[in-house]
Amino acid sequence: MPPTKPQASQPADLLQGTLDLLILKTLALEPMHGWGVALRIQQLSKEALQIGQGSLYPALHRLEYRGWIESEWAPSENNRRAKFYSLTTAGRKQLNAELANWDRMAAAIALVLGRREAAQ
Amino acid sequence: MSFHEVFTRLRFFLFRKSPRELDEELQFHLEQATQLHIAAGITPREARRQARIDFGAIEPTREAAYKERPGWFLETVLQDVRYALRGFRHNRLFTITVIVTLALGIGATTAVFSVVDRILFRSLPYAHDDELVSIGLVQSLETQEFMLGGFFYDWRDNQKPFAAMAGQSTGPHSCVLTEINPQQLNCINAQAGFLPLLGVTPVLGRNFLPEEDIPNGPDVALITYGLWKSHYGLDPGILNRLINIDGAPTRVIGVLPKDFEMPTLQAADVIRPVALAVAKEQRSQNGGIGQPMRVFARLKPGITIAQARAEMDPLFRQTQEAFIPKEIRKDFRLSIRSLRDRQTQDVQLVAWVLLGSVLAVLLIACANVASLMMARGAARERELAVRSALGASRVRLIRQTLTEAFLLSIAGATVGLVLAEGLLLAFVALAPTSIPFLDKAHLDLRIAGFTVLLALLSGAFFGLITALQKPRPIALAARATNSGRHAFLRQGMVVGQIAISMILLSGAALLLRSFQKMETQNLGMQTHGVMTAHIALTGVRSEPVAGLVSRDGQKQMEIFLQAEAAVRRLPGLRSVGWSDSFPPGGGWQNGRLFTDFVVEGRPRPTERAGGSVRFRGVTPDYFRALDIPIVRGRNFTEEERTSNQQFLVLSRLLASRLFPDEDPIGKRIGMGSDGTVLTVVGVAENVRNGGLSDQDLPEAYWLRRNIAADWGVPVPIMVFDTVQSPAAVTPWIRSQIAAINPTIPVEIETLNERMSKLADRPRFETALLGLFALTGLVMAVIGLYGVTSYLATQRTQEIGVRMALGADRGDILRLIAREGIRLLVTGGAIGVCASLALTQLLKSLLFDIGPRDPVTLIAVTLLLALVALAATLIPARAAMHVNPMVALRNE
Repeated sequence: MPPTKPQASQPADLLQGTLDLLILKTLALEPMHGWGVALRIQQLSKEALQIGQGSLYPALHRLEYRGWIESEWAPSENNRRAKFYSLTTAGRKQLNAELANWDRMAAAIALVLGRREAAQ
Repeated sequence: MSFHEVFTRLRFFLFRKSPRELDEELQFHLEQATQLHIAAGITPREARRQARIDFGAIEPTREAAYKERPGWFLETVLQDVRYALRGFRHNRLFTITVIVTLALGIGATTAVFSVVDRILFRSLPYAHDDELVSIGLVQSLETQEFMLGGFFYDWRDNQKPFAAMAGQSTGPHSCVLTEINPQQLNCINAQAGFLPLLGVTPVLGRNFLPEEDIPNGPDVALITYGLWKSHYGLDPGILNRLINIDGAPTRVIGVLPKDFEMPTLQAADVIRPVALAVAKEQRSQNGGIGQPMRVFARLKPGITIAQARAEMDPLFRQTQEAFIPKEIRKDFRLSIRSLRDRQTQDVQLVAWVLLGSVLAVLLIACANVASLMMARGAARERELAVRSALGASRVRLIRQTLTEAFLLSIAGATVGLVLAEGLLLAFVALAPTSIPFLDKAHLDLRIAGFTVLLALLSGAFFGLITALQKPRPIALAARATNSGRHAFLRQGMVVGQIAISMILLSGAALLLRSFQKMETQNLGMQTHGVMTAHIALTGVRSEPVAGLVSRDGQKQMEIFLQAEAAVRRLPGLRSVGWSDSFPPGGGWQNGRLFTDFVVEGRPRPTERAGGSVRFRGVTPDYFRALDIPIVRGRNFTEEERTSNQQFLVLSRLLASRLFPDEDPIGKRIGMGSDGTVLTVVGVAENVRNGGLSDQDLPEAYWLRRNIAADWGVPVPIMVFDTVQSPAAVTPWIRSQIAAINPTIPVEIETLNERMSKLADRPRFETALLGLFALTGLVMAVIGLYGVTSYLATQRTQEIGVRMALGADRGDILRLIAREGIRLLVTGGAIGVCASLALTQLLKSLLFDIGPRDPVTLIAVTLLLALVALAATLIPARAAMHVNPMVALRNE
């Protein structure tokens, strides 16, 4: 395994598995190419999250190999050929599962950090 | 993982994505980024540059994406395998040496494991076999547990620690199955509860019903799978068929499973109900003690054998009080052993010794292979350093080495399995009958699994040792040569190898010397030209159990006396005698206790002391046939065989103990409680009678007279000495006996054959341990040679410099040899200490030699030193002849 260089465009290390969740969530809205996914995450996070190609494309491939997303070549906005990814049924199920998981995690972490009341 | 996911992965595993797709995607990404910069108002050229900088390196992304591919791991494994195989092809000598070494180690271990597996590990063919025990009384003359019908029911009905308890008759007896031709079989009897106790269900039909297991019940039988197959061709119609056993039409009610064996390991073809009368009636049978039987029981869950023994003790004491005559009471003990111990207790030590020594050989082999791999690794250090510099991770390099190790060990195991098959054939050829299951040892899936496990373990052993050597960047330097940095580990292994082979050699040498002594010892009788003929009458058990002799010998006596007369007519036969058993041992040997001999006029001894006395019933020619001299008094005479008095000949040992200061001749000795009195007529020289290796027992010979009571069980065996060859005599004897009754089977053996059977087991142990010790020694010496010559090669330049500076050849020889001798001395010293500790384990296997016999130890040390010295001197001599010019120019 060659050492993976830290990406300059990634200010904060994403939690393990969070990237997959973000990609799935982004694709849940509409089919999108890799560039679009990166851009959308960046916009939605108000520039806080920048996904470098070095982790984006391996992640997209991983999700495709697991059957959660599928790809198709189609013309892009500027009529350039691009690879569009879309969520599969299995992917949607996975997204829901991961969202639920995320909520549990976030609540638990918040509890530990004392940011939220236990009642919630 | 869902079905969908598996399917997707499989699809991508079979049809991989084209790498161009990713390139195109990345290209698109880059273009979009450039567009974004241009839109922000930067010049296209600068925008492209900026985008590229943001973008980062492409190659890691490619690799990272590629790694996500299903099957990527497998691909790297295959890559490693291909690479390893290519390496092996390049270096054939190395590969073959390693595979042969491993095959020797693994093959020998597999063969030995398949022999000892059933003795030590494999579960017995009964349900929950670890709960089964053998229970009963033991005494000095009968060390296998037995019970008598007279108290069995008391025990069975009042015991608490067992879930069930059931018995079988003591031994198989021959019975005749009459179909078209009569065939002799072994029949045995068992209680109705016997098979359920063992958890054995017939493959066909059913077990005995309780109402069939009663006196005068219906004639029913279970037959073994073997008999069903050989005799009835697996015909299911056998059920409920009437077959004729010993003249009685008997209904076959079931067939036993294929792997069924009696817990006593006795051979039996037919099992019939024991049909015992219960409880009280038993007390009126067999002289008031009831039928003898072998009893097994199943422990209740959670009860240990020790607890069971404690719980059974009151019942035992009660039996002892009520049942056993006072004077012999102390001789009987309660014994409860696990079924495995009952079957194999006496060979477990041998099995462990063999397994331990063969594992030691495997260890030596692995160390050798590790050493070879390290030498090869040193030669390849630069290659590994290059791979490391090119980005191969440490884990990947370790994996590569481990892959190589596993490939080699699997190849070694494959060759080893073939070798094991061959070794097993040799074992079976040597097979002593006293090692149970040996003849049945074979390679099966379980053994093959064991072999694979061995291969993996040894692969991990030498693979890890090699893999953990990290390649140093220095190896990249073109001129770098290796210093002896692997040397320390390799030297350590050589020391270990020498120590282990020292232990193996000491063990083997001790066994060898003990075996020699056993073979050459003076037996006190002649065995050459002496033959025995065992006439097996149907329905007559030839060996008694629990010292119970039968006085019912009418049937035998008539036939035997006719046979004796017929054999006497043959030419070349000098003396024809009878005895129930033969020295030095083997088979059943009758015995009495020393205190059974009550000299007339002396008080009956109250204490049971003095051990046991061999007790043989013979005719006068016995002494002539075996050439045992009468040292005092006289032999029995032929006339005395028809006398109504009884006569006795004592061995010199017994005579000296019974009559230390008196003349024994003419003394009268009372034996047993029935008032039998025998007159001593002579004293015979001692013979070896406690087996080949145990101490001699005192011995008494009673004259077997021509009355029925003297020919019961134990059934006498004919003995004669002849000047003719055994091959010539055997058919004569057979025809003489066939003339009396053609259906009686006769077993004819020479006494030497009987003796040889006794020596089978020591011979087997010695041969095996010797073989392992030699293999170990050869490997250890090769290892020592390898390390010494490796070190010598490493130091070629140093030697060149030394010689250029004026060192002479003797200095160089000393320099190199010192290294090897240091290893030898260290290993040897550890080996001697370990031997002194470990050979203690062999104590019970040795005859007439101590486990720390100094002569043996010194001889072994010398042998090892000599061979090992040769192994160091060869490379040292080679180093001595290094040409300093060549060595220095090599720089």
